[in-house]
Amino acid sequence: MTNVPPQRHEERTREARSVIGTGYARLTGRFILIAVTCSVVPLLLVGYGISRHYSRIARARMRADFRGRTSQHKKTIELFLSERTAAIQLLAQTHSLDHLRDPRRLSSALAVLNHEYRNAFTDLGLIDGSGKHLAYVGPYDLMDKNYAKASWFEQVLTRGAFVSDMFLGFRRVPHVIIAVSRIDRGRMWILRATLNTRVFRSLVEGVRIGRTGEVYLLNRQGILQTQPRSKGRIMEKAALRVGTHHSGIRVRVLSTPSQGRQIVAQTWLQQVRWALVVRQSYDEAFADVNQANRSSLITLVLSAVAILLVSVFTARTMIKSIKKRDLEKDLLTRQLMQAGKMASVGELAAGVAHEVNNPLAIIMTERQILLDVAGCASGVDPGLKAQLEKSLSQIQTQCKRCKHTTQNLLRFSRRTEAVLEEVDLNAFLTEVVELLEREASSSGVKFLMALQEGLPAILSDPSLLQQVFLNILSNAVDAHEGKPYGRVAVSTRLDVMTGAVEVIVADTGWGIRLEHLDKVFDPFFTTKPTGKGTGLGLSICYGIVKRLGGEIAVESAAGEGAVFAVILPKRPPADFESAFNIGRQASEEIESSQKEELK
Amino acid sequence: MNGRRVLLVDDEVVFTENMTTLLTSRGYQIKAVNSGDSAIRALESDDFDVVVLDLKMPGMDGMETLKEIKKLGLFTETLILTGHGAVDTALEAMKLGAYDYLTKPCEVDELVEKLEGARSKKTQRSSKDMESKLKRVVESPRSALSLFSKKKGI
Repeated sequence: MTNVPPQRHEERTREARSVIGTGYARLTGRFILIAVTCSVVPLLLVGYGISRHYSRIARARMRADFRGRTSQHKKTIELFLSERTAAIQLLAQTHSLDHLRDPRRLSSALAVLNHEYRNAFTDLGLIDGSGKHLAYVGPYDLMDKNYAKASWFEQVLTRGAFVSDMFLGFRRVPHVIIAVSRIDRGRMWILRATLNTRVFRSLVEGVRIGRTGEVYLLNRQGILQTQPRSKGRIMEKAALRVGTHHSGIRVRVLSTPSQGRQIVAQTWLQQVRWALVVRQSYDEAFADVNQANRSSLITLVLSAVAILLVSVFTARTMIKSIKKRDLEKDLLTRQLMQAGKMASVGELAAGVAHEVNNPLAIIMTERQILLDVAGCASGVDPGLKAQLEKSLSQIQTQCKRCKHTTQNLLRFSRRTEAVLEEVDLNAFLTEVVELLEREASSSGVKFLMALQEGLPAILSDPSLLQQVFLNILSNAVDAHEGKPYGRVAVSTRLDVMTGAVEVIVADTGWGIRLEHLDKVFDPFFTTKPTGKGTGLGLSICYGIVKRLGGEIAVESAAGEGAVFAVILPKRPPADFESAFNIGRQASEEIESSQKEELK
Repeated sequence: MNGRRVLLVDDEVVFTENMTTLLTSRGYQIKAVNSGDSAIRALESDDFDVVVLDLKMPGMDGMETLKEIKKLGLFTETLILTGHGAVDTALEAMKLGAYDYLTKPCEVDELVEKLEGARSKKTQRSSKDMESKLKRVVESPRSALSLFSKKKGI
């Protein structure tokens, strides 16, 4: 920049930029929040609802399955018992007491039964009305036992047919008996068969339901009739409370500290007052449902994460483009502000120049008068005259210098609108270099001019060009910071084909690092320390050169200096004028012709 | 002295005084005034070859004064002298009919050079005008009469 903003301005810019930065972060956050609220929340709600609904249906189905399985087991056991009861009944009905009293016949009847019912019975006994054994076939020695006091004996007498609970009896082994009574020619007798405990128990205990499932039977007192797989022993009180008799199948979900959550189905058998219990660990029973739930949960979470990522990405992209636009706007505002500042500085300069020019004009006339008087006067001391002439000549020199300064001031800073003029680039560059030379020489940097002779003038805007070259040249001087001396070479060359002029500024400074090379024309990019550069200079140069229809390029290697090439066309593009004050420019264009005409 | 009459218009009194001294010693008849109004009055009452006009003046500025001068329809040439250094303003003045411009501060010799240029142009123009008028006089007695009456009016 021609007038580098003071450090305070720079600091403020930095502050403002950081404030803007947090503003963008907040905006990004808000965008993401909105996107997430609008997508993830409904997703989760819908997902949760669907999952709840389906798992409820699945659970209900699982319960129904469980119920069905229980009912099947119940039927199997009932069928087993009723078949065997019917067989004993049939045996009692179809044979007379006398016939069965014969142990050989009883034994053959047992053999037939066991053949038909696959070893269903352990033994077979014939007992008279007083509880005394009339005949017995089986592995135990029970002939002398009297059953008059046994609880089943009373039951069978009153009911006619009876299936006992599991009991130890005389043989001290858990067993179940089926007994039927018959009155034959006035005499009551009872046929009693013992179920093969192993076969019966394996019927119930052999059922496998998953890894944790089990089936067992309880009597009304809650005594285990079969051995459960998990806990408890046959003939002992079960942990599960059996409750009172009920019809149908009851499915419950219980929770015990030792076995955790479990699903339990209970139903009462018909012939015998036993409760069939089917039990399975809840987690195993509902593993499929839980699995489905888990996978849907994972899907849900993945979707939510995907949405989140997309939202973040979208928000970032959006904010990036907004940021870019803001930056462009900011840059434009800065350029406008700069232009405004230049305008007011220009006005001030114009005022000062005018105020200086008038006294200068008077001084010049006074000098001339003195010169005239001295020329006419006679008899003046020659020494005095010589001194007078010398002084007057010095006054003239200094006045001219002042005039030159005020004119430069006016020419370079007064114009705020672009005005096309014929510019002799050689003379122009010499002037710009002159402006910088004093400052540069104090830092040991010298300018070398290699200007092509006879360069034709181009049509361009001198004040814009001045901004460009002041920037490039002062950058070239600044690039030597820390070096004791250096050179900045300025050369011009005419492109005969197009009439464009190429200006090359090469320096012996520190150069530009490769990774910075494509950023040097970006706004706000600077490698200068805080408060030293705005990072706007070269970006403005770029803008101006492009607007003038030219090209600007840079070539550099770290430590080897930098070369800036600016190509300026013979005349700016047609749309250049439209951007600026047309009337003013038009008046300039007819300058020469009119001047001639008026003369 | 018949020719070389110059009206100097500038609000800087010292400048006009000094210029008067300098130009008088170089053979010019100078009348110096310090405002646009007095310049117009001076032109109405006297005849001048050249008006040297400063652009920036309080009250009626140089540009307005120039317009007024042109309204008078005189042969007098106007030379713009400006401390402004503003070439475009000076050019605008030239479009309005000023002969040329000089930026302040300037050398007396530069001014003299321009004055001579202006004067010779004025002479040319007035003689040309005279010629055409004479032609008209020859061609038409009525216009000769009008010329006569106009002269009489002065």
